[in-house]
Amino acid sequence: MTAAPRRRWIAIVLIAVAVAAVAFAVGRFSTFAASGPALPTTDSAEAGFARDMQVHHAQAIDMAMTIHRKTADEDVRALAYDIATGQSAQRGEMYDWLVKWGLPQSGGAPMAWMAASDAGHDHGVTSAEPMTAEEEREAMGMASPAELTALAEAEGTAADCLFLSLMIRHHEGAIPMADAVLELASDPRTLTVAESMRNGQQFEIDAMQAMQQRLSCTP
Amino acid sequence: MTPTPPSPSAKRASGNPAVNAQITLTAKQQREQQKREKLAEYQRQIAKRRRSKIAWWAVGGTATVAIAALIAASYFLTPKPVTYARGDGDGTAISGVETFENTANHVEGDVDYPQSPAAGGDHNARWLNCGVYTEPVPEENAVHSLEHGAVWVAYDADAVGEADLETLKSKLPSSYIILSPYEGLDAPVVMSAWNAQVKLDGADDERVEDFLTSYWRAATVPEPNAACAGALDAPGKQS
Repeated sequence: MTAAPRRRWIAIVLIAVAVAAVAFAVGRFSTFAASGPALPTTDSAEAGFARDMQVHHAQAIDMAMTIHRKTADEDVRALAYDIATGQSAQRGEMYDWLVKWGLPQSGGAPMAWMAASDAGHDHGVTSAEPMTAEEEREAMGMASPAELTALAEAEGTAADCLFLSLMIRHHEGAIPMADAVLELASDPRTLTVAESMRNGQQFEIDAMQAMQQRLSCTP
Repeated sequence: MTPTPPSPSAKRASGNPAVNAQITLTAKQQREQQKREKLAEYQRQIAKRRRSKIAWWAVGGTATVAIAALIAASYFLTPKPVTYARGDGDGTAISGVETFENTANHVEGDVDYPQSPAAGGDHNARWLNCGVYTEPVPEENAVHSLEHGAVWVAYDADAVGEADLETLKSKLPSSYIILSPYEGLDAPVVMSAWNAQVKLDGADDERVEDFLTSYWRAATVPEPNAACAGALDAPGKQS
């Protein structure tokens, strides 16, 4: 074999190797997308929302079960049943998000994920320092231990009225959380749930305010 | 004009000094000249070939480096699997964590638990409402809360002072926690979840967070996400 054809063959082999190597790398890159969109991380708004809204819902369920046991008003009982079962279902779904995302149920300071949102700022959430338990409860519209005790001990229409005022404030506390996650999150199911939660809680607030009028609750 | 006498070595003459110089070369000199030109031409060819060889090496080398970088990138940029703690109820990597196998029947009356404080086992039908207690809590009810995913943080009131208790509280979630004093504890603080327990040196032990990450409301308990409110408020419940 003379020098020139041999050199040509070497060139062809080298080019073939180069093309194969590039194809190999492109093949590897193409599998990146196949592993799916990145799951929310433990610091994400999605995870923060899933954790904090479970805490928030758990108290609503507790209060609804308390009034369900003792109210004499059929409408209040139906509303309490609705809230307890509906929020239990939502809470279960949010629990499972964290399981599916491979994240612990615990993590991060409560409400800290909201600091980056406009809704969070309006809500008094800053990243500067973690909230105390009391500040956290107030920011989420949640009842204090004293208020829960008062609800447990109240009777008759007084109990119904106390339940309605506590639950209205509770629902109002959820709306900025839903707003914040709608602003910050990208997980599609989280956005859908937050949207329906915001709308649903507003409808229930309207219904509870109508009940307050019917029962002549003093504000 | 006086004719120039021909020089002995030249047969012709020219007005152009360069031509004149060439003409004046001897045959031997001419051959040497040609040889030199040939040599110069040959060297030019070699230099040209060397330049083109350098160009090919540069192109080939750059391509090789680029392809190697591409392959390296396809490895380095591969999405990483999740490496942080998963809250999957496996905290065996935490120093000092013990795990157990316990039954989960509903029973009436006292239960003799193999662990102290109890970390799972048969229990009362009513769970203990989660929260902060200033008095020891009924164990048969607390175990039912563990079954629902709560973590019971028991402390030795003689070893954990007011300030330590505040430090401990600041590290705990606001729900699914039972914080209570416990008589006869063999460590300042003991954290128990369903079938898992860790004995801690005190409130500032960094395993508090690790244990919570692995076991608090873990999906591995018998009844994950069941309530920790709405049942029994034991005496001494503060919040």
